[in-house]
Amino acid sequence: MKRTPMRHGAATLAVALLALSACGRDADTKSTDTGDDGDTTSTESGGGFIDPAQDCSDYDGTAGITGDTIKIGTVRPASGPYAIYDTVTKGLEALVTATNSKGGVKAGDGKTYKLELVKGDDGYDPARTPAEVERLVDQEKVFAIVGEIGTSNNLAVRQTLNDKCIPSIGLATGSTEWGKAKEYPWFIGGLPSYATEAHHLMEWLKKEKPAAKIALLYQDDDFGKAYQASIETSIEGSDITVVAEESFNPLTETSPESKVAALSASGADVFFVGIGGSPCPAAVKAVPANWTPLTLVSVTCTGKLAMALAGGKDEGLVAVQATYDPGTAADQSNPKIKAFFDEGGAAGLSQGDLEGGIAAAGWGFGSMFVKGLELTDTVDRASLMNALWQLDGVNYGLMLDDAKASTKGGDDPWVIEDLRIVKRQAGSWNEIAPLTSYDGTSNDFAG
Amino acid sequence: MSAAGRLRDTRSIIVVSGVLVVVVLALPQVLDAFWTRRITLWIPLALAALGLNLLTGYNGQISVGHGALYGVGAYSTALILNEWKWPQLAAIAASAVICFVAGVAVGLPALRIKGLYLALVTLAVATLFPQVLEQFSGTTGGSAGLAITNQEMNRRGVLADRAIRVEAPTWTGLADDQWAYYVFLAVAALCFLVVRNLVRSRVGRSMIAIRDNEVAAEVSGVNVAIVKVLTFGVSAALAGVGGAIFAILQARVSSGSFTLVASLYFLVAVVVGGSASIAGPAIGAVAIGLFQDVVTPALPESVTPWDLNAKAATPLILGTMLILLMLAAPGGIVGSARQLRARLAVRAQRPADGPIPTPTTGGTP
Repeated sequence: MKRTPMRHGAATLAVALLALSACGRDADTKSTDTGDDGDTTSTESGGGFIDPAQDCSDYDGTAGITGDTIKIGTVRPASGPYAIYDTVTKGLEALVTATNSKGGVKAGDGKTYKLELVKGDDGYDPARTPAEVERLVDQEKVFAIVGEIGTSNNLAVRQTLNDKCIPSIGLATGSTEWGKAKEYPWFIGGLPSYATEAHHLMEWLKKEKPAAKIALLYQDDDFGKAYQASIETSIEGSDITVVAEESFNPLTETSPESKVAALSASGADVFFVGIGGSPCPAAVKAVPANWTPLTLVSVTCTGKLAMALAGGKDEGLVAVQATYDPGTAADQSNPKIKAFFDEGGAAGLSQGDLEGGIAAAGWGFGSMFVKGLELTDTVDRASLMNALWQLDGVNYGLMLDDAKASTKGGDDPWVIEDLRIVKRQAGSWNEIAPLTSYDGTSNDFAG
Repeated sequence: MSAAGRLRDTRSIIVVSGVLVVVVLALPQVLDAFWTRRITLWIPLALAALGLNLLTGYNGQISVGHGALYGVGAYSTALILNEWKWPQLAAIAASAVICFVAGVAVGLPALRIKGLYLALVTLAVATLFPQVLEQFSGTTGGSAGLAITNQEMNRRGVLADRAIRVEAPTWTGLADDQWAYYVFLAVAALCFLVVRNLVRSRVGRSMIAIRDNEVAAEVSGVNVAIVKVLTFGVSAALAGVGGAIFAILQARVSSGSFTLVASLYFLVAVVVGGSASIAGPAIGAVAIGLFQDVVTPALPESVTPWDLNAKAATPLILGTMLILLMLAAPGGIVGSARQLRARLAVRAQRPADGPIPTPTTGGTP
């Protein structure tokens, strides 16, 4: 009881301190980190898809640009079973190094910018992504997120980044969610829509195997379910049927072997592998000797590195392709691949990484960002997005020479929509059906 | 202990707690928004550890399933906010009730199963929980997660999801992150106060009696079954409050946050802080928070010449440190502090050249 007055004193002190300090920190601690051209507050972006004056509550268009250096961030798994995807980021990093060693990017505003890349590791666990992205945005003050890996991982931060008006460019995912540019105009995917990919495979199948019986293995998340939904929609009205389905959860299961065994007993003559990471080639490897289906694999696992994990069962696999494959001899003479080999090699990529296909993907995501910078009249967040939202038949990175990237804001939010079908033959991917353009229609296959 | 010594002891306690209170209240004023959000996320960890400590430290029941109960709180809150649009504090309270019921359900087998076997049962709960979330991914969002959102017309007139976040009322003059910190700190302070009073009450003495000797407690008239089950329930409710706050802060829940690893972190917080103490779980949570948010990001991703990923080795480092800590200070941080204080008290009482008085155990709450 004796202590009561002192306690009251302490409590009063605490309350007083709280009340006083309430005004201690300014409501906006975000020091507007304007570059040296802070006065040219993008008049161009007014007419574009994004209008920061209308779309953003507090917008800082040039955060992350210091002098002539633009800082970008990415999040990827550098540990755990999906660490194979770290190679994507190695490719992105190589592009940044290669760009800087060429002197930088000559942006549309006439200046030349160097790039700086900061990385976060979320172990492919979407529960860990928000903290990593917060660190990149609030601590590192990156200008944009480029090539972040994983559908669920990107979804975990979509709301936050969109609210803060921070560009997310060349996402390493093709989930149909990235077609929702009207709701989330700050997100732009780096891969073809998984739905378009599956649709294209189904269209090809209708000609090649009109009565196909499909055994479907899909990843139990937005990535795999995009395949599932698109297949269902695409085979409607045809004689193709899905005779068996198994889902695979990358976070709780380690090997898809038992799922493949179950599917092999279904009597299917087509096996669709709609999973990613190292479990994808593991599923191909697990196909038993007495089951000889035509196997279709996800575009995410067509690289040489993934194929090497298929236990010699990669012969005859069929997949969709939108870019050249650095692991295929015929493609290696292409000037783009040659440049990738020279510059990427000089930037530190090993021969295995160069040919593996995964690093090439990251190189492509970075190239999309660079392309956007080249096209934008003003280098700020909204103008860059607007440049990417009105692409008019451009070609960048390792895209097939005849492929064109066109976008039109929310009406055509997909960058890569020109696809061809390739078959794995003697360690190479050979074209078996020519380039088909789905420009402006990718959202139709989302199911 | 002499009256003067006791007074000095009491005074020093008041001074130390006063300084602590000031520091804790001033933190969001000193730190930027990023760090304020990070330390706010330590609050749910402290609450879950508080719940676990009540069960393990005071009642002697081991649970490695609190990650699941924490998850039940988080998902209850997410679903309540999404479906019924309740106020956030009401959702937290509702989650506490739901978790109390869930805790009682998990606690029932504990009447027959003890020690290691109880740990195994709760281990099963912890392992099953993420699988259950996957099984009902239509409702829970599975590993992709479930965003806590409202459908709102956005500025361009498109109906879009908007995250439900903690927003500071304008009269406070505080930023949203600062407001969230103070509100949840107040919730946590309330919970800690409730637990402190609970363990000092008759029920609390029953809990401790059961921990120390169940048969003796029963002979003395303690209703062992009811006390054990209720302790499990209260403990789960506290974990649920923690989970609810976690969900609100993230505006999103996903199964990856509620794995066995979460349960183990709670256990580590209890052990590091010092079990069977009120401040222990909070101190342990701060220790883990510092480790996760300050130490880990500073670790290099590649240690030459072996190209080791030190960041990925975080659990290994944490485990090693835990073993060393247990060898050096089995009572955790609070235990060590008590020992230190007792030693200092002995030294202070020793007259210039008189005999050494018997050390007392007084002065500890």
